[in-house]
Amino acid sequence: MDFLRPATWAEALTARAERPDAVPIAGGTDVMVELNFDRRRPGALLDLNRIPALRQWTRDPDGTIRLGASVPYARIIDELRTDLPGLAMASRTVGSPQIRNRGGVGGNLGAASPAGDTHPVLVATDAVIEVESAERGVRAIPATEFYLGVKRNAMAADELIKAVLLAPAKGPQQFSKIGTRNAMVIAVCSFAVALDVAARKVGAGIGSAAPTPRRPFEAELFAADALPWDSRADLDPRIATRFGELVAAAAAPIDDVRGTAAYRRHALSVMGRRTLTWAWREHQSSQSCQSSKELT
Amino acid sequence: MNDKLVGQPLVRKEDPRLLRGDGRYLDDLGRGALAAAFVRSPVAHARITGIDVDEALDVEGLVAIYTHEDLPGRIAEPLPLLIPHPDLTHPRTPYCLANGEVNHVGEAVVMVVATDRYLAEDVAERIRVTYEDLPPVVGIDQARAGERLVHEDAPGNVAARSVQTNGKGEAHEAIASAPHRLALDLHIERSASMPMEGKGVLAHWDADDRTLRVHSSTQTSTSVRLAVAAKLELPPDRVEVITPDVGGGFGVKIVHPWPEEILVPWAAMTLGRDVKWVEDRREHFTSSAHERAQQQHVEVGFDEAGRLLGLSVEIWHDNGAYVPYGIIVPIVTSTQLLGPYKVGAYRVEFTSLYTNTVIVTPYRGAGRPQGVFAMERTMDAIAEYLGMDRLAVREANLIQPEEMPYDQGLVFQDGRPLIYDSGDYPTMLRMIRDLVGWDGFEAERAAAAAEGRRIGIGIGAYVEGTGMGPYEGAHVKVETTGEVVVSTGLTTQGQGHYTSLAQIAADVLGVGVGDVTVITGDTRRFKYAVGTFASRAIVTSGNAVAIAAAKVAEKAKRIAAAALGDGVAPEDLELVDGRVRRRADPATAIDLRTVAVLSNPLRYAFDEETKAATQFAAATATGEEPGLEATGYYMPERSTYAAGAHGVVVETDPETADIRILRYCVVHDCGVVVNPRIVEGQVHGGVAQGIGGALYERIVYDDAGQLVNASYMDFLIPFATEVPHIQTAHMVTASGLNPLGLKGAGEAGVIPTSAVVASAIEDAEGLAVRRMPISPSELYELRKARQARKEQVSA
Repeated sequence: MDFLRPATWAEALTARAERPDAVPIAGGTDVMVELNFDRRRPGALLDLNRIPALRQWTRDPDGTIRLGASVPYARIIDELRTDLPGLAMASRTVGSPQIRNRGGVGGNLGAASPAGDTHPVLVATDAVIEVESAERGVRAIPATEFYLGVKRNAMAADELIKAVLLAPAKGPQQFSKIGTRNAMVIAVCSFAVALDVAARKVGAGIGSAAPTPRRPFEAELFAADALPWDSRADLDPRIATRFGELVAAAAAPIDDVRGTAAYRRHALSVMGRRTLTWAWREHQSSQSCQSSKELT
Repeated sequence: MNDKLVGQPLVRKEDPRLLRGDGRYLDDLGRGALAAAFVRSPVAHARITGIDVDEALDVEGLVAIYTHEDLPGRIAEPLPLLIPHPDLTHPRTPYCLANGEVNHVGEAVVMVVATDRYLAEDVAERIRVTYEDLPPVVGIDQARAGERLVHEDAPGNVAARSVQTNGKGEAHEAIASAPHRLALDLHIERSASMPMEGKGVLAHWDADDRTLRVHSSTQTSTSVRLAVAAKLELPPDRVEVITPDVGGGFGVKIVHPWPEEILVPWAAMTLGRDVKWVEDRREHFTSSAHERAQQQHVEVGFDEAGRLLGLSVEIWHDNGAYVPYGIIVPIVTSTQLLGPYKVGAYRVEFTSLYTNTVIVTPYRGAGRPQGVFAMERTMDAIAEYLGMDRLAVREANLIQPEEMPYDQGLVFQDGRPLIYDSGDYPTMLRMIRDLVGWDGFEAERAAAAAEGRRIGIGIGAYVEGTGMGPYEGAHVKVETTGEVVVSTGLTTQGQGHYTSLAQIAADVLGVGVGDVTVITGDTRRFKYAVGTFASRAIVTSGNAVAIAAAKVAEKAKRIAAAALGDGVAPEDLELVDGRVRRRADPATAIDLRTVAVLSNPLRYAFDEETKAATQFAAATATGEEPGLEATGYYMPERSTYAAGAHGVVVETDPETADIRILRYCVVHDCGVVVNPRIVEGQVHGGVAQGIGGALYERIVYDDAGQLVNASYMDFLIPFATEVPHIQTAHMVTASGLNPLGLKGAGEAGVIPTSAVVASAIEDAEGLAVRRMPISPSELYELRKARQARKEQVSA
């Protein structure tokens, strides 16, 4: 097995094009497990850790956050929790502190495991994945089109993930994960919700309950329509419950060693209801803060 | 006299070394040794039709490839049946390398030796083994059905069938004539002990001296030595086995000889080079040992007070593909099931069944968690049936202190009668009642319910046979520097023996703990031992150390008396603060180190100290063998019985079915406590492992016999985030069976955990928990099933 260590992004793209048998590695959270368990024996590892740009995040003029593929979870939690609260919450549930110091969203996307912790947030918030090849340049793939199947994504063999583009939160965001243990655990299922207050839209994402992360479109439309945006009134529990039911209906879970399909569906309905309720309460309290500011 | 060290919560002497990273584990040894790797079966049950090594031969660094055909003499025979038993009618043990048939995924087929482990694995990968699949037997149901056979000559997959009765009448008659009857079907799933360090072997053959030195991460170096000598047909005196620091054992390392413990030394002898093998985690999952899996059918007859008049238990025990360790686990389950309770007529029958899975051997608790689960589930079922308080049912059945010693009328795993030597179970139950807050719990439950929270309380008790024989020994020597060296043959894998055994020796010899060095698990230093397992080390070795140290003390007094002259008699003397002094006149004294010098009369002097012992200087005691040292053995007549009770409060999420432990309480009685800090640590560790077994850990095989969760991603060991604060209270009912009054403590914490957690979940949920471990997903399915039953009834 060869170990390639490009020093620049251009070199990395060239190496990627020349070695279709190479597997890119950054934090190694998933890749090292696969190698260790002998599930994969790639011809080469393409180490991306010498490329500083991948470990940076910047803000575009329109406010969009351009998150380098290798920015570790620990920094997302520390530096971006205000702009990207949902992603920060999901990042907190990844592995151990050591893993959060090494792993980043690019790895989650590259591996495209249905259980990846950040996927539900990426689909719920309409993130865009920026990939690049030496031959064809940059291509932007919406998160909702990125995942094709279990551990399959929309990237071509010569492409590398450069960055993830995320809009700063337009309202409350929530993330919830059910694991078989309290920490360092693969999700039984997970769920993210994001409110766009100005546009009166609701985004949502389901994790670990279908071959790919998916958006429960019916649930999103229902909530956008049913939430009392005007009155800022308390959320009718029936709305939250219905939202949860629609979330569960959008999932296609399986039975496995971590839980039954029926439990996953049930848990999703609970998470859907709870996260929407939390998000709405947050919305109410931020509204009341604003109005009290206006009063004084 | 100094304060007694026994009983003091001293900090462990060994920890600074281990915490600094100065421990020496198996893989720290043998730099430059050749490395072994194994080709292991990827299928559960098959005939081997071919082994093709052609592609492997040109790997640079390859030294040797061995299959069963290459093994000579006794190495080619099946491994020994370590503990034969008359009821074990169809014993089958594995070969070192599979002989034409594999019986579980992970069974060793080919051994590769290369210049390093990477190359050895590269070679192993290029070896093509072809298999003709046979139908696998997976799980107890399939084994019981007996339609498929693991071993063609073991009909019904039955390795052993065993019946015991307690001599108090016919159980089925007692049940039939009892005022009330219940039946329960119970299940415990497979788990495994998972020490942080797996197994490992390093062998060095000195061809000139014809001496074999083996390092092994084992719980019994002396027995590995005898097994290796027997298999390799060497005189035992030509074999040394040394156990370095061991990163946990929990039972799996008492099994011996593992195939690798024979193959690695044999390869070293054959090749004339050092050879090492270190187990990786996946190998540990698929080729070491598991435990726990049982099905149980309980029938019980009882009166209005909940007293057990008759109890019949049938157990189906999954023993995996082979039974090298015999049927100890189901024997322990069926005998320790009775716990602190007296039952009328008791009958227990177990069937030990072959399956195409990894072998089953004792894992901390060794069959007791299953037995306690059966008994405590039964107690709760009786309480539910009679509408009685669950504690009251238990109280009604307790053996009373004045009934001690209490003969349960059964034969224990050591072949001796199961007689409880001492214990005060009513006090124990009262203490746990107070500690866990049993009486105030209904108010607590109501308060939680008012907040929409669902909580439940569970309780359970156990009795554990500890400190079984045949014996342990120790050699105690006072050096001329004053250092006391205690050598014991048993091994240590984290129990704190370097401290607790030192406390015992120091008390007898009147020195400090810092003056005592403890040596364990090295057959060069002490050849006779059994091993560290079954909560036996402190009882057996602790008493042996005390006996040996007392002999040394007596000898020191005799030598000191002669040296002090002036009519001083040995019985006038005492050992205090590193000196031998007159009781009546402490100023008349001689240093213990000087006594050590005098104990070895010398013709030649090397320094100032030895000068004192030369012929023209010393007044030595006559008739003494040289050296201030002695060997002592303790041979228990039978096991001594420790006991405990646990109480737990759990909260279950009404929606997600998440299960959280809010409070965990332990009352623990292991007789006289040598070091309370170490005992507390043992209890905490055991409870943590028990919580793993109750809520997280399980070994899952699919229908094809593949172990589907063979990694720490899905075999969930509890972290600090899962282990609650544990409140402990101790009571002491000394054992009358040994001089120090000790009982064992190593396994205690794990024994009743599944039972009490199940009890608490039942209490929180109001539904029957008959299978452990339990996950949120399974609790959810139980709720659904109950809902479905309710709807059926209302429809």
